[in-house]
Amino acid sequence: MTATTTPPAVRKSGLFGKDELKVIKDPLWDNNPIALQVLGICSSLAVTTRLDKALVMGIGVTLVTALSNVMISAIRNFIPNKIRIIVQLVVVSGVVIVFDQVLKAYMFDLSKQLSVFVGLIITNCIVMGRLEAYAMGNPPWRSFLDGIGNGLGYLWILAVVGSIREIFGSGKLLGMQVVPQALYDAGYVNNGLMVLAPGAFVLLGIIVWIQRSISGYVEK
Amino acid sequence: MNTSSNGYVMSFAVGVCVVISTMLAVTANNLKPIQDAAAEFDRQKNVMVAAGLVAPDDKRQRAELEKLYKDRVDEVVVDLSEGKVAAGKSPADVASMKKPEDRLRYRVVAIGKDTNGKADTYVLPISGKGLWSTIYGYLALEHDATHVRGVTFYKHGETPGLGGECENPVWCAQWKGKSILDEEHKLVGVGVKKGKVDPAVPMEKAHKVDGLSGATITSNGITKFVKADLTAFEKYLTGLRQP
Repeated sequence: MTATTTPPAVRKSGLFGKDELKVIKDPLWDNNPIALQVLGICSSLAVTTRLDKALVMGIGVTLVTALSNVMISAIRNFIPNKIRIIVQLVVVSGVVIVFDQVLKAYMFDLSKQLSVFVGLIITNCIVMGRLEAYAMGNPPWRSFLDGIGNGLGYLWILAVVGSIREIFGSGKLLGMQVVPQALYDAGYVNNGLMVLAPGAFVLLGIIVWIQRSISGYVEK
Repeated sequence: MNTSSNGYVMSFAVGVCVVISTMLAVTANNLKPIQDAAAEFDRQKNVMVAAGLVAPDDKRQRAELEKLYKDRVDEVVVDLSEGKVAAGKSPADVASMKKPEDRLRYRVVAIGKDTNGKADTYVLPISGKGLWSTIYGYLALEHDATHVRGVTFYKHGETPGLGGECENPVWCAQWKGKSILDEEHKLVGVGVKKGKVDPAVPMEKAHKVDGLSGATITSNGITKFVKADLTAFEKYLTGLRQP
C-alpha cells in the first residue's frame, strides 16, 4: 500500500493548531515511547550513568527522529512499497552518521563515552517506529513535530533516570558534587548498583510503573 | 506512475543512495580538520593524565589545558636502536615516516617537566592488539625510569563495559607505583592478572594489576604489548637511570 491518499483526519490549521500541539504533547505523556510503547529500552539502560550522557543521547534521538521523519514524509509518495524499510534505514543511517561526525568534531569527550551507542540510534525502535507509523502517512511539518515530540518523550525519561543514577551512583550531577562531603564523612557511600545497568533496569521499571499509574494506562 | 515496477524500484534505490552518500561525504570532509584537532587535544590530555599533570575529569577549558601542555610537556624523538634522543628529528617527521622499520626505530616520548622546567616524568607511547582492535595508550614513568607514574588508554575498539573498561580511571589508578624492573634490575614490565592481585605475594604487588573481568584477551593483550614496548624502550630507559 503506497501512502498516496491523505489520511482523513488531517484538517487544515496553522503551524501550531490544535492537532499539531496534540502531536507534540501526546508522546510526552499519554503515549510516551518508553513508558507506554516500551521502545528504546536498551539505550536508555546503557547511556544513563550520567546526566550529560543521557541528555546528549536524548537530543541525538530527537534530532534523528525529527529529521528522518521529515525526509521520509517528504518523499513518502514516491517510495516504492517493496523497499520502503530499506529506504527508511538508509535515511536514518545517514542522519545518525552525520550526528556522530558532528559529535566527534565538537564534543569529542562525550562521543568517546557514548561510543557505539550513537551508532546504535539507527536501530532504536523509536526512530523506525515513528517512520512506519507516522511519517509514511502524514505531511512533513506534522511528521517533524511528531519526531520532536517522541524524541522529547524519550529525552525526559532518560534525563530522570540519568539524574537519579548520577546522584545516587556517584554523588554528582552534571559532574558537579551535590552530595556534601559531610555526608560521606558520616558514613554514607555511593550506591554501586546505580552505576551498573541492572540499577537502571530497576529504576526504569519503577518509573514506568509510576507513569502508568498516574496516566491510568491499562494493558489491553 | 507505477511505483512498483522493477525499473522504478531500482532507480529509486540508486537515487536515494547517491543523495545520502553525497550528504555523508560532504559532512565528513568538512568536519575532518575539526575532528583531527579534537583527537589531537584528547591525545595531549591523555599524556598529561598519565603524567599526573591533570585529573581525568579535569573541567578546565581546552585552551587552558593546551597551554599547560605547551608549558609542561616536551616531545622528543627517541632513536630506539641507539637508545638516545635523535637530534634533528621532530615529532612531525616521525608522523610522516612511511617505512615500517623507521616507525619502529623512532618513537616520540613526551617528557613532563616540573614547575622549574626539570624533566620529571617520561611518558612512553604504548600500543598493541587487544581483542578487536589496536589499543593506544601512554605509560608514564617516574624520573627514576623504573616506577609507573600513571597510565591511560585513549583509543581502542574494545567492547564497551568489558575490554573498554581499560580506559576506566579507577582501573588505571592501580598502575601507579608499580615497578617495571624486578629486584635484580631485570625488565619484567607491568602485567594484568586474571583475577585480583594478592598483596601478600611480593611479585604480584610490585608488577601486577587486577584483571578486567570479562575481558581476558584484552587484559592479556595489554600485558603483552606493555612488555614489548618497554623492551623496545629499555636501552633509552637504561640511559636515563644512569645518574
